[in-house]
Amino acid sequence: MPLFVKARSFLRNLFLSRRVEADLDQEVHSHLEMLIAENIRAGMPPHEAQRAARIELGGVEQVKEQVRDSRTGAFLDSLLQDFRFALRQLRRSPGFALTAVLILALGIAANVIVFGVLQALVLRQLDVPHADQVMTLQPKDGGPFVSNPEMRDVRDDNTVFSAVAAYEFQDFGLEANGVTRPVWGCAVSGQYFEVVGIKPFLGRLLGRDDDDHPGASDAAVISWSAWQSDFGGDPNVVGTMVRINKHPYTIVGVTQEGFHGTEKIAQLDIFVPMANEASLDGFSWLESRSYRNLFSVVRMKDGVTMPQVQAELNTITARIARQYPKEEEGLALKVARPGMIGDFIGGPARGFLAGVMGLAGIVLLAACANLGSLFAARTADRAREIAIRMAIGSSRWRVLRQLLVEAFVISILGGACACGLAWMALTGLAGWHPPTRYPLNLLFAMPQPSLILMAFLISVLAGVVFGLMPLRQIFKTDPNEAIKSGGSQTSAGRRWALRDVLLAAQIALCCVTVTAAFVSLRGLGKALTMDLGFNPKNALLTQFDLSQAAYTGDAADHFQRQLLERTSQIPGVEAAGYANTTPLSGDASVAAVFSQQSADFRPSNKAFEIYYYDVSPGYLAASGTPLLAGRDVSFTDTVKTPPVAIVNQEFARRLFHSEHAVGRYFKNGDGVSIQIAGIVADGKYFTTSEDQEPAAFFPISQKANTSTALIVRTRRDTADMVAAIRGVILDLDRAVPIRELGPWNNQLALSFFPIQVATVALGIFGAFGLLLSIAGTFGLASYTVSKRLRELSIRVALGAQAKQILSAALGRMLILLASGSVVGMLLGMAASRLLSAIVYQASVQDPFVLAAVAFTTVLTGALSVAGPVRRVLHADPATLLREQ
Amino acid sequence: LSPEPTSLLQGTLDLLILKSLIAGEMHGLGISRRIQQITSGTFAVKPGSLFPALHRMEEEGWISSFWGDSENNRRAKYYRLTKPGLKQLQVETKRWGRISWAIAQALEAS
Repeated sequence: MPLFVKARSFLRNLFLSRRVEADLDQEVHSHLEMLIAENIRAGMPPHEAQRAARIELGGVEQVKEQVRDSRTGAFLDSLLQDFRFALRQLRRSPGFALTAVLILALGIAANVIVFGVLQALVLRQLDVPHADQVMTLQPKDGGPFVSNPEMRDVRDDNTVFSAVAAYEFQDFGLEANGVTRPVWGCAVSGQYFEVVGIKPFLGRLLGRDDDDHPGASDAAVISWSAWQSDFGGDPNVVGTMVRINKHPYTIVGVTQEGFHGTEKIAQLDIFVPMANEASLDGFSWLESRSYRNLFSVVRMKDGVTMPQVQAELNTITARIARQYPKEEEGLALKVARPGMIGDFIGGPARGFLAGVMGLAGIVLLAACANLGSLFAARTADRAREIAIRMAIGSSRWRVLRQLLVEAFVISILGGACACGLAWMALTGLAGWHPPTRYPLNLLFAMPQPSLILMAFLISVLAGVVFGLMPLRQIFKTDPNEAIKSGGSQTSAGRRWALRDVLLAAQIALCCVTVTAAFVSLRGLGKALTMDLGFNPKNALLTQFDLSQAAYTGDAADHFQRQLLERTSQIPGVEAAGYANTTPLSGDASVAAVFSQQSADFRPSNKAFEIYYYDVSPGYLAASGTPLLAGRDVSFTDTVKTPPVAIVNQEFARRLFHSEHAVGRYFKNGDGVSIQIAGIVADGKYFTTSEDQEPAAFFPISQKANTSTALIVRTRRDTADMVAAIRGVILDLDRAVPIRELGPWNNQLALSFFPIQVATVALGIFGAFGLLLSIAGTFGLASYTVSKRLRELSIRVALGAQAKQILSAALGRMLILLASGSVVGMLLGMAASRLLSAIVYQASVQDPFVLAAVAFTTVLTGALSVAGPVRRVLHADPATLLREQ
Repeated sequence: LSPEPTSLLQGTLDLLILKSLIAGEMHGLGISRRIQQITSGTFAVKPGSLFPALHRMEEEGWISSFWGDSENNRRAKYYRLTKPGLKQLQVETKRWGRISWAIAQALEAS
């Protein structure tokens, strides 16, 4: 029962506070009156009676306050008072409040956004049942790819996985309702949907039987979003006949909503059995151990530990390597988290995000330091108020609580603004379509409600951090002293105070972000102007895969030659040529090269690995790849003539230690001797940040390929030319699904995408860091000046020179600025080493970067002290001394 | 005034208030005077201690209050003992008995 009574009085105190107050007031007053009446009865004169009664009572207000303190929820009540007071304080100085909230909002937003992306990409698991059991297998070193026989062996020999599957990304020509469109999808092995463990939304998913042998099934499964967009959400879609790369398929099911494959950033819309790949791809790789083109995904059995899995993998791979020494020598698999192509993209992405998270943390710390010094200065200004409150009996704890509540209010407001900012940024990111032909899906970045909690936690933490900075000041306050000196501590700006240290620390932190920004900006500049080894300007790229229109070998070769011939005749075309794929397009073929003397073709005996391209005559000219020596490939190089290749300078240097390689030989993995017919300039092949790699260009007429990338160098207007090329292709065969047709630069945008993202992210942090350091420096400089204006004007009146005045007023600021900047630049240089991983040629020792950072620091320092300096120099001693 | 009223020991105030209310409902001043009377002037309760105690005890549910007219027709707030209050009085009385016995023992020991 007492609990109920207590709760009732608590609620009464909280909600009927006015009535409770009136009641109390009346009670105390009636008590006083009764005391007076008693005294009068005892024979005192009325005046004396009143005085005695008041003395006995001890003050109406004091009694009331004592009663209030004893009430249930008294703490909450006074806290509420603190909040009201804090809001009043902030309303009274809106400039301060706005600055503080804004600084904090930006600092917290940066953290929440980065955390949001980090959470989506790294921390959150795939959206499938029991996602913690789903893993991916990949070679211990090298790319993320495995071959089909390898996965088949793991599937059949292991005891730790309940299902093992492999899959390949593919762009299909999907013909439905009479229209052929390119669609990204997956060829999946039989246990794929067992690993994934999702339920179909309609119909069924693919099973082991579908993948039993080539042609076992013509079943295809589409994603929920493809069902919505391509089939209009037709409830009778199951059973629909479609043609994929000209082969008839039946749609047997639709996946549940939200499932789009097992890579977080890819949107895959159609799933077909991998057993059928020969008919879809135009050639068979299912039985090849050395053709590694598959990603894998496995589901671990219940209760199996990672060391068990790794031990079993080691046993299996060791056996495979013994059994097939030629192809599988040194095979070693490891387990990685799925969703980001294992550690391949996941590793660098995690590293980059961790780095950015660190920068975001630095920015928040700088913001806290900034707010901390603002608060410290404010507390110093309020020394008199605080002293009075202490003098009339307020405890130090109560004063501190008041200041903390103020900090808390600011940080919560800042956190709320940050939440809004982060929400907008992440929603924008999720809805953004990067310029690429790949099915990139950024929906993963959609903000989650858990981010609100994160923002709240960060705000509270930040509030406590900067709210506690004036702690020492409060505990040092001697009410006597503070009131005597009239609140203006003459010592201000003389001793080294906490806020000075904070300012230096903040400048150092901001310098780190500025250095990082300049390093990445410089890197981007270099990347954009660097020599790619080809010239994408004024060139159009057309991409399609003839296997999607059921072409193979000779037919494809015939089609491509016709295409080349007719494109070359289009007026305005300077040069044209085609290849299986182009450099920096995202897909690259890699092969081992052996020296001419080799007789042992095991992988460990290779000279090196190369990127290679199958090209037509004219490709080098069309792509702007400089031919330095020898000849271009020719259609007279056929399967019947000796194999030839054109190699880049790096290739020649590595194999022959000389660039005079024309006419010399090397061997491929099959032991075939290939003669070098020409040398081309070095270039970039897989990423813009790679070290110089060797590369080779083979005549496509010696090795037909259905994958087609047509390059047309043109003088004419792009739009006209695009229409003309499209016309030629459709005229040759209407069924060819064109994957991409447009300026080559558009496609290359993807290559510059990571570095652009990095630069934008780091640039924003840099700008924000600058803003913070300007705000901090300006704030402290004007505070110091205003505190000492009187003293300074006396000096002026006594005849001090401008130089002396300035060094007296702001000399220390300069020391702080300089030392903070130097420390910051050193820290920034240390941190920027990490950047070189993402940003091409990002060097910290770059004199340009150093000069730019130094210049920026000096400029911002000068900018932020300019105002206070003016104020000091224009101070009129006569007016000032009269006023004070 | 009586010589130097002993300051109230912590916790005894509740006991004295409960005890004084046994006689019937009373307003604040009444309780104060009653305590003075039953302790022969040893204890003088100041309003600054009395009112917080009364409000706290009301929140605990030991006493309840109502507005009424005083002896000379002034409005005054009256307090009366509740059932839990009566029980609390017994508990407190027993506790105080133990304490005073223990203190007496301690003082008699040589």
